[in-house]
Amino acid sequence: MRARPLLLVPLAALVAALAATAPAASPKADDPETARLRGQVERLRRERDLASGRTFYLRLDAGQGRLALTLQGVALDDYRTESVEWGVPEVLFVDRAPGADWDAAAFSKGRLEPERERDRVEVVAPAPAPPGAAAAGPAPAETPSPSPPPVPKSAEELYSVPSPYRVVFAEGVSLEVRAKGHGGRNRSLFQRLADALGLRLSDLGTALGLGAKERVRLRVTLEAEDAASLYRSLPPDVGLVVVGLPSR
Amino acid sequence: MTTEPGRPVPAGPRAAPAALAAAGRRLLDGARSLAARRSIRGAAATGVLLLLAFAGTGWDFRRVAPPSTEVSVTPAPKPASREAARLLAERQRLEVALRRKVPRGSWIVIDQTHNRLRLMKGDDVVLEAPCSAGSGMVLKEGSGGRVWVFDTPRGRFEVLSKLANPVWRKPDWAFVEEGEPIPKDPGDRLEYGSLGEYALYFGNGYMIHGTLYERLLGRPVSHGCIRLGRDPLREVYRQAPVGTPVYIY
Repeated sequence: MRARPLLLVPLAALVAALAATAPAASPKADDPETARLRGQVERLRRERDLASGRTFYLRLDAGQGRLALTLQGVALDDYRTESVEWGVPEVLFVDRAPGADWDAAAFSKGRLEPERERDRVEVVAPAPAPPGAAAAGPAPAETPSPSPPPVPKSAEELYSVPSPYRVVFAEGVSLEVRAKGHGGRNRSLFQRLADALGLRLSDLGTALGLGAKERVRLRVTLEAEDAASLYRSLPPDVGLVVVGLPSR
Repeated sequence: MTTEPGRPVPAGPRAAPAALAAAGRRLLDGARSLAARRSIRGAAATGVLLLLAFAGTGWDFRRVAPPSTEVSVTPAPKPASREAARLLAERQRLEVALRRKVPRGSWIVIDQTHNRLRLMKGDDVVLEAPCSAGSGMVLKEGSGGRVWVFDTPRGRFEVLSKLANPVWRKPDWAFVEEGEPIPKDPGDRLEYGSLGEYALYFGNGYMIHGTLYERLLGRPVSHGCIRLGRDPLREVYRQAPVGTPVYIY
């Protein structure tokens, strides 16, 4: 009778050892509702992380049709989208799937394409007059009065806005912004032809996997004025968070 | 051997080689014409294939359906599992945390590209007015080699202090720009009246202040500060206490 407890000890140890070495039970697959909630929570976590940082980001709410320039969770400028489209590269009419994890990370380091160029006015300061020079009163012919610096141009005068243009993110996602109606009319015919040709060739290149890897492109159409305003004022290295995009 | 009608037949021993040469030439011409026809067809087929490949290579877009405007009156279903209930609670917590990021009191937004200032209270726009942000001009000192760039910084700031009848303590660049010697006496740097009635300081030497050049409001002409017209400045000064967030983009 006493042998039984003695036998139970090694048996319990064996069971414990087997339990420790046994592979962890595979997690049960989520039901659709749980999977949907998990995706939403992941997206909100990413948005919270972006909102805790110091970088500007675009928040595209595909469901509500809004695109907002945001900093630390505060929408600074909000545009209504006429339409939102979701695109993938296709080669010979066959779509290239972006992979299920295409939106697993936050999108960052967005840069404008075509780039917004800024010409800065450079002024070399006049040499300071030596002390007492003003009192001496030099002849006007010897000291031509310096012309005042030119009044800087307004944003509308400074930047011509292409349509469409893109914000290309480091994670293989881009946002294409199209102007509704007469967008891009502030560019010359030659500029518009060059833009169109450049975009088509760039599309061909990205679809074939040449150059920067682009997996997904989101396309929004905005009012022409809004599209131009966003192009002119978009801060550098902007992020992106997308909400309300149905699974394709 | 055949000869073409109407063509003189060479007589004598040279006749046979000449006929052969003529036949050879005809054969060659025929082959060339056939090759040319085939090559045209081939080129056309290649062109069509290339066009198809060109048309079928690029980006395939599908429209995201707009949200349904119908309002559901059925109560939200109970979470299917404990995990779903946990995720639902987590989602609500995160949504609330994000909503709380929007300031409840006054806050200021400055679009430095379009030179517009908005004073907000919660979600409401209290005031919108033209302003002048940094010109982006580069000033180079002739002898000292110093360089200044007159940009307005982007980001989130806070009103750190407020002043009525502010006095401008002119920095070095203000003298360099005018071609004046930099004074040794700090008192010679003070300038009265050029900042308008009020100034709201938001750090690193930057302020929201008034201007003597109201006609230039709406254009980027400042040295980095935000210039505002007299009436909107009074309103901003009155409604934005110390600690008011200032967002500049």
